[in-house]
Amino acid sequence: MSILQARAITKQFGGLLALSAVELTIAAGEFVAVIGPNGAGKSTLLNILTGLLMPDGGQVLFDGKDITRLATHKRVRSGLGRTFQHGRTFARLTVLENVMIGAAIRGDRTERAIRDAALAVLDQMGLAAEANESIGSLSYGRRRMVELCRALACEPRVLLLDEPAAGLNSGEVDQLVDRLTELRARQQLTIVLIEHNMGMVMRLAERIAVLNFGRKIADGPPAQVQADPAVLSAYLGHGYNRASV
Amino acid sequence: MRVPFLITAVIVSAGVLLSLVLPDYHLRLLNLSVVSAIALIGLNFAFGYAGLISLGHAAFVGMGAYGLAILTTRMGWSPWRAMLVATTATAAFAGLIGLPLLRLKGHYLALATLGLNVSFYIVAANWIDLTGGTNGISRIPELTIAGRAIAGERPFLWFGLAVLAAITIVAFMIHTSRYGRAMIAVRDDETAAAMSGIDVTMTKIAAFVLSAVCAAIAGCLFACHVRFVAPEDFSYAHSITYLAMLIVGGESTIVGAILGAAVLTFLPEWLRFLGSAYLAFFGLMMLAILVFLPSGIAGLGRYLPRLRSPTRAAPASVSAKELGP
Repeated sequence: MSILQARAITKQFGGLLALSAVELTIAAGEFVAVIGPNGAGKSTLLNILTGLLMPDGGQVLFDGKDITRLATHKRVRSGLGRTFQHGRTFARLTVLENVMIGAAIRGDRTERAIRDAALAVLDQMGLAAEANESIGSLSYGRRRMVELCRALACEPRVLLLDEPAAGLNSGEVDQLVDRLTELRARQQLTIVLIEHNMGMVMRLAERIAVLNFGRKIADGPPAQVQADPAVLSAYLGHGYNRASV
Repeated sequence: MRVPFLITAVIVSAGVLLSLVLPDYHLRLLNLSVVSAIALIGLNFAFGYAGLISLGHAAFVGMGAYGLAILTTRMGWSPWRAMLVATTATAAFAGLIGLPLLRLKGHYLALATLGLNVSFYIVAANWIDLTGGTNGISRIPELTIAGRAIAGERPFLWFGLAVLAAITIVAFMIHTSRYGRAMIAVRDDETAAAMSGIDVTMTKIAAFVLSAVCAAIAGCLFACHVRFVAPEDFSYAHSITYLAMLIVGGESTIVGAILGAAVLTFLPEWLRFLGSAYLAFFGLMMLAILVFLPSGIAGLGRYLPRLRSPTRAAPASVSAKELGP
């Protein structure tokens, strides 16, 4: 049963066709990576899935319902979470308050319940000690973890991660992989990952979709995608196949 | 919640103490400070928290004042009932005008709100049948409690301080609630706020309406105290003064709003010897504050935690330093 589905999504920026009839179906509980060279349309696709951009054509379905025109905050409230490519936190709030913004998504929670829920997420992700720190005092990697905590505090069923490893050192990447693996084991979370770090993609993804120049050129298990000639030529240029195979 | 109550208590007792020692003329200035402080706590929601630059705040103060003046003098309503209706009507107007207005950002919003203020002035000065034009409306009745009028500077100051205390406490409660955090989040990053489940448009409108409610209450108090309103009292120049007060006091803090109102109301008095050079001094002072003290007088408070015991100083977060109290 698919939980999130992009149907024939098309998006044009002026003369540039950013996405051309892209299809993507995510099953509940799945871990899917979306990869592709820079400018392939990965972030555009994520922006359309989350409602930050409207597609020129096509539909977005969540839980079988058409959400193509639904406002972003309503999508989040119905269970779609996301982090951003460069990490977006609220600079004038503390770490805990940042996560409390996410935890306040449930309108019936008291202030104490919001705080407890936020602290539980921070604890789970290993940030409890920094709860009262200012965002500015954290390293870039820790700030991105705060953003992830905020997204998790929204209690998403589907979590979209936009290059979460970008700018992290290798130790932080390992930690992130561990946390994501734990999360998947503990709660039935569907994750869509956009990432350039292939090591991370191969360790986590059950399925990989490849975008190139706004088109989906491959979609399948990692081993199959890795061997796909279309993928190899997209990443390494046309000469690659003849020269090496 | 202890800190806000403490701060409110300090402000109120300082006011009461001053009310016992100051001469009448200074009490009048203190009353104007209290009225401005109430309006500024409102502006702080829109500008300090949600980042909505409003150059039309005086228009909302004016709507409250004129609403009360018209309802009491033309319809013979009691000031209390008129205050309730005038404030509600101003809030409703802010919500309605906010819907299209708050789609604008930054300088565009500043200009649009400035336009709102200029429009208000033109209407107030020219709709003579209703507003009395530039002559204004006089003989506005005083507020009464249990049949006794709140007349004279001293009793009015005590009443004003009570209202200020109540509004300060409510403002602190909003500040530390999900709604206050949502406003701050919207100012910091609208996209991330939406992606955290915050309804950005509603949050902005709520901040704008809240600012208008405080402005209208301030306007009603002004009308009942001065007992006379004229368009000149609510020109856009006053909106700019409100913004200046907020910057001097400390943008995005409640205490800063109150301090700014008091300092900028008394400053012209203290510097009377400068004569017409006052405006030049004022301009340079604003410049100096923006450059050297961007977080205003309240920003000096961040040096205070060092004096406290280490256990209290340790959890001093950025919100305590930059936003609260």
